[in-house]
Amino acid sequence: MSGFAYVRARSVEEAASAVRELGPEAKLLAGGQSLLPLVNLGLARPAALVDIGGAEGLGEVERGNGTLRIGALVRHRILETSPVVADAQPLLTAAVGHVGSPRVRNRGTLGGSLCHADPSAELPLAMSVLEAEYEVTDGGGSRSIAAAAFAVSFFTTALSEGEILTHVRVPPAAPGTGWGFREMTRRAGDFAVVAAAAVATCREGIVESMRLGLAGVADRPTRCRAFEAEAPGTPVERLADLGDAVVADVDPPTDTAASGAYRTRLAHVLGVRAAADACARAMGRTP
Amino acid sequence: MTAHASADVSVTLTVNGRDVTRTRPAHVSLLRWLREAGFVDARLGCGEGVCGACTVLVDGAAVGSCLVLAVQVDGSEVRTAVGLSEDDGSVGALQRAFLHHGAVQCGFCTSGMLMAATELVERGEPLDRERVTAALEGNLCRCTGYDGIVEAILAVSGSGAPPA
Amino acid sequence: MSRDEVRTSNAGELRVVNRPIGRHDAVEKLLGHTRYAADLDLPGMVHARLVRSQIPSGRLLVRDVSDAVKVPGVTAVLLGEDVPNNEVWVDVPGQTTEVRALKASMQILATDRVRFHGEPIALILAETEDALADAEEAVRVEYEELPVVADPAEALAEGAPLVHEQGNLLAEWTIDRGDVDAAIAEADVVVEGEYRTQLIDHAYLEPEAGVAWLDENGVIVIRAATQVIEHFRDVAKILGVPASRIRVIAPYVGGGFGGKEDMTVEPYLALAVHRLGRPAKMVWTRQESLLARAKRHPVTMRYRTAARADGTLLGHDVDITSDSGAYAYLSALVLLYSAVHAGGPYRVPNMRLRSRTVFTNNPPTSAMRGFGGMQVVFGYESQMDRLARELSIDPGEIRKRNAIARGDELPVGQRIETSVLLAETIDAVTERAGPKPAPSRSGLAVGRGIASNLQSYGRLVWLKDSASAWIGFETDGSLQVRIGVPDIGGGQASSLVQIASEVLGAPLDRVALHFGDSALTPLAGTTTATRQLYMSGNAVLTAAAQLRDRMAAEVAEETGQPAASLDFVDGMVKGPDQSLSLADAVAVCIRRAAPVATLATFYGPRGSEVDRRLESGRVFPDFTFGTHLADVEVDLATGQTRILRYVASHDVGRAINPQSVEGQIRGAVAMGVGQALMEEVVVDRGVNLVGGFFQYLIPTSADLPPIECVVLESGEGMGPFGARGIGEPPIGPCAAALASAIEDAVGARPTTLPITPERVLACIDEAAKA
Repeated sequence: MSGFAYVRARSVEEAASAVRELGPEAKLLAGGQSLLPLVNLGLARPAALVDIGGAEGLGEVERGNGTLRIGALVRHRILETSPVVADAQPLLTAAVGHVGSPRVRNRGTLGGSLCHADPSAELPLAMSVLEAEYEVTDGGGSRSIAAAAFAVSFFTTALSEGEILTHVRVPPAAPGTGWGFREMTRRAGDFAVVAAAAVATCREGIVESMRLGLAGVADRPTRCRAFEAEAPGTPVERLADLGDAVVADVDPPTDTAASGAYRTRLAHVLGVRAAADACARAMGRTP
Repeated sequence: MTAHASADVSVTLTVNGRDVTRTRPAHVSLLRWLREAGFVDARLGCGEGVCGACTVLVDGAAVGSCLVLAVQVDGSEVRTAVGLSEDDGSVGALQRAFLHHGAVQCGFCTSGMLMAATELVERGEPLDRERVTAALEGNLCRCTGYDGIVEAILAVSGSGAPPA
Repeated sequence: MSRDEVRTSNAGELRVVNRPIGRHDAVEKLLGHTRYAADLDLPGMVHARLVRSQIPSGRLLVRDVSDAVKVPGVTAVLLGEDVPNNEVWVDVPGQTTEVRALKASMQILATDRVRFHGEPIALILAETEDALADAEEAVRVEYEELPVVADPAEALAEGAPLVHEQGNLLAEWTIDRGDVDAAIAEADVVVEGEYRTQLIDHAYLEPEAGVAWLDENGVIVIRAATQVIEHFRDVAKILGVPASRIRVIAPYVGGGFGGKEDMTVEPYLALAVHRLGRPAKMVWTRQESLLARAKRHPVTMRYRTAARADGTLLGHDVDITSDSGAYAYLSALVLLYSAVHAGGPYRVPNMRLRSRTVFTNNPPTSAMRGFGGMQVVFGYESQMDRLARELSIDPGEIRKRNAIARGDELPVGQRIETSVLLAETIDAVTERAGPKPAPSRSGLAVGRGIASNLQSYGRLVWLKDSASAWIGFETDGSLQVRIGVPDIGGGQASSLVQIASEVLGAPLDRVALHFGDSALTPLAGTTTATRQLYMSGNAVLTAAAQLRDRMAAEVAEETGQPAASLDFVDGMVKGPDQSLSLADAVAVCIRRAAPVATLATFYGPRGSEVDRRLESGRVFPDFTFGTHLADVEVDLATGQTRILRYVASHDVGRAINPQSVEGQIRGAVAMGVGQALMEEVVVDRGVNLVGGFFQYLIPTSADLPPIECVVLESGEGMGPFGARGIGEPPIGPCAAALASAIEDAVGARPTTLPITPERVLACIDEAAKA
């Protein structure tokens, strides 16, 4: 592995300023679980790494007025075992448990995963379905980016040069919200071939509200807008009939892991199952 | 494309109870740093964070040391498999269990397995086969088929079948 | 005590052998003390790395290293012209030099043509690891791309581009036994199928590695992760130096499985040391290993099988094609194994077999656990299941009906000389598994499958295999064993210690084993072909028995007790009237000028070389038989398959170390399941697409159920104490058992490996249409 300059930033401002100085070939280093494999494989050759891992103020999970505010440096393991998260947004708890292996979860961070923008990844998908907002700053000003708009393509985000993701705000779940998360991997702990995440509310066995997203079927997490439009008003046991709507705008690529046709079928099955799980939980049942 | 010169950084780690300080380029992984310092029981199997042969404990958490830069964990406590032995150099309880249950063949994955197992056992939660295998997702073995390893961990945690 | 007596003795009399004693190497591995090949650094050492071809087929127009040598930290960059003998004939590895070399050659560093993606072109030697990467970028290679031969069918087509000048067909084997056309004509049922297995990587956890240096006697010493220390001869030829100037040492190896059977780092390390006079180290990256290491042959098989209505096999018409990739390596021998094993553990009165192994521009293929004998299990067991289904006969029953027995012949003409417990293994797994479980919820289907196999142990008899061992007592009664066997993790060394201890009575902790050094330990041949326990075990047994007999004679005369009454046990020589400690017995021998050490060679059975037409009779010393059972649960909407239960049963003759035997079975099953369900090196027109372990998926513990073993001991193997080899046999039945189980669950049979969820879903669709 070729060398790189290394700068340790003690704050977000320092990190932003270092990135500005070092130019576009500088990369932020947090947990390193997405970046360092690429470096080891020779697929990434950063000229400099700005280590933001010790920056202040980015490592907390806070809950206020039902809104979860999670620092970008919160490690997956913390998210996975946090009782606050489990109570406020159990979809997140479920999704993060599928990220990599326990080894990876001990080091990897929320911000790192979101900014890596792997289209098969669990956390970008979950945040999109939860309609989270990402707080970003360039050291001077700050702004908010909707999760659903954050990943713009394979491994590419809406961050401008010099912008750093600092916190993720997840709005409170409506009372009686249920969640569902389904994933298919070819081997335990592997990347998802397809993953589906859903949150829903129901009233007397009828779907009231529904949000469903998919990972692994496009260049970024995809919300199933057609399904989300059709589901409300449907009896829960008839959800499977809307399966085609799940994959209405889905046209996945073929690669060495799976064919596009198979991914579509998986999306159909996992999408309906995740939605059904969400409804079951919304109605107080175990799926 | 020209080489990028890494600045040298001085890193101090407490490895298996002993302070070790070395000055190496910033791009040196924790794995390489440890091996260069003589702790060759941390092993390189893939460099991608998949196989787990490089697993060590950093402040009690099992990590893939090939995916950590030594400088990132400056000042931490690191434990490798060598550190699991008793003070007189004999095998500790987990190692004894591995021996008893046939958990070692070629031995290349063993150090990493021991460290992953140590983290799991030290957590003190009740374990069953499913929890153990989930914890070992990041540790590959090509020789044993895993049963001996799983049984050894269950035995040490008190959740296993009583010895025959 | 002669070897024959031991073989037939009551197992209950064995004291050390047949006990699940923890392996002596395991403690050091657990303590983290073991130094594998990459765990050594020497002062003044250079680091070595290969520059490899980026394309699968082409002429090398430019190989310009002038910039690379100027990179700071680079010591030298070598090309093919720098290798004294750059052309190597690929030969059978091991101690024999009598076998005719396969007429195919390879270059150590390519000079003119590259034939596979990853072929070595240049060798960089640098002062630091970091300089290697920088130098690699500075080497300039220009290719003229040549047409790519992407599979055997393309290779055999009229006018196909030639991978090698001699033609794309490397080797063929045929069997013509009886009259298969008549058998098909008279049959009550004929079933057909085409089956495909895929390109597989060994994926040992330890990548290829080694360190070499020049010792004070001018001998180049290579300490490398290898299964074959005899490669010192090949290295000597490459350098053009006498064989006695090269020494190969095998440390404990982190997994071999056949992948460290050919040379990997050895020639390059030797070249570096020869050139620079300095120590050299080479460690392959995982990605490099996945790219360029020779792999398991993908095989396409077509079977037509004729049977009577009661399920009796009348014959097989078989056609097998294997992909040799760019170079020959061991392809002809692997194909031979496929041919000999193609009928399975059954009586097959008529067979026509045509087989060929073919050059392509795919990654080269060579030895891997099962060595051709395992791929054909998928073929013949799928056919047995088809018959069972067609004739409505229970799958276990149809196998028992056709099981080969002592005195029967395999299609190649080899008589089975030992007991066959095939029926017993079928019963064992069926009994252990109990009734088939119900699905755990709706939308799932449960299926059960079984598969039986045979796999040879010991090398082909015309290779005139042998193994030597030296055993000697120290004056204090402790024992030394010196034997060339490399230990690749299967407990090879440990079992030998047990055998020596059993025969000579030295307690286990007073036996020291020195292994794997071509200069200092008698050569025992390759750790391959499931031969080590058989060959080296017998060598140690022979040496130990000889030594025991000689010492007993001396002690008998000295103490006036009959030699036959003396028992070597627990560190003593115990007699009816007088007992001595081993140390005292040694002193007696020394005083009487009698030897306390001996060197012995064990010779495997010898036979004449096979011809392309296989009808020579005995090919292998013997075989190991077994049956596996798998229960699977299939998600009918996604094709995802979970293994609920897996039971494996083999007759191992005698389990020298029962814990090691179970370990070998479990490990082989895990590897077999990986091939069955998830592993594949994907190659697209010669371009290897697998970038790392994140793409080449081997099973984790969460992907496997507990693997239950029922070990049978007939006492009738050709190994020491009646042992049969067990390293390879359990890898054979896995894919067939799982395919069978999946067919039982979903109603259609997968015929291509790996059986991914996508392929299972295709079977579900197929069954739905039918």
